[in-house]
Amino acid sequence: MAKKPKARMINVRLLSMAMTGFFYAFTRPRMARPMSMLKYDPIVRKKVLFLEQKRKGK
Amino acid sequence: MASRYVELAKQMHPRLQRFFAKYPPTQILPRTMAENTIKDGAAANPFLPHKHPATGRWQDPEFSLRRQAELVKLARTEGLEELLPFTHKGTEERIRKRVEEGLQVKGTGVGQKVKGHLHERMLFTKMEKRRTAMLGMPRLVREWRKNHQTGTRGWKKFPR
Repeated sequence: MAKKPKARMINVRLLSMAMTGFFYAFTRPRMARPMSMLKYDPIVRKKVLFLEQKRKGK
Repeated sequence: MASRYVELAKQMHPRLQRFFAKYPPTQILPRTMAENTIKDGAAANPFLPHKHPATGRWQDPEFSLRRQAELVKLARTEGLEELLPFTHKGTEERIRKRVEEGLQVKGTGVGQKVKGHLHERMLFTKMEKRRTAMLGMPRLVREWRKNHQTGTRGWKKFPR
């Protein structure tokens, strides 16, 4: 049976670098570079850097 | 003098009267009443279980814990508690145990610690991690800006 083709868009999780465990979820094209942005973390109540988390497993 | 004591004794609660008639206070008849061994001739503490000297079997105390507590309560209201033989229901013993063990909740005694849930035990390390991360944040953002906004391939350090 033919293998299912990989989806073009993937869901990614942008994790707060304040180590609060807070994250935002986005969709980006698979081939694009990993996302990163400054966004608000409600736990520390500040704008902090959010980086894309490496996807684990499946 | 003795008649005065008799008068005083007659004012006691009848239950205490009966008890002290059967088991005179140790102050009057000095005997070892704080242990549950019967040495030859010694009277056993009626509030403690004791080992029978001949058969070696354990005998129940003559007074159940409920009745012991009732006697202690009666004696306390009349100010006679120190005349009773040693009992686990006595005020001093209870206070001692409370100090030693705390409430029945495990870990509330002297020198003990409440274990708590895992997240409660890890709270300090978690906050510390967060604090150091926030202290390093301006520097991280500065580095990120530099790499992200220049035309190079950009930021490489992503969390695992």
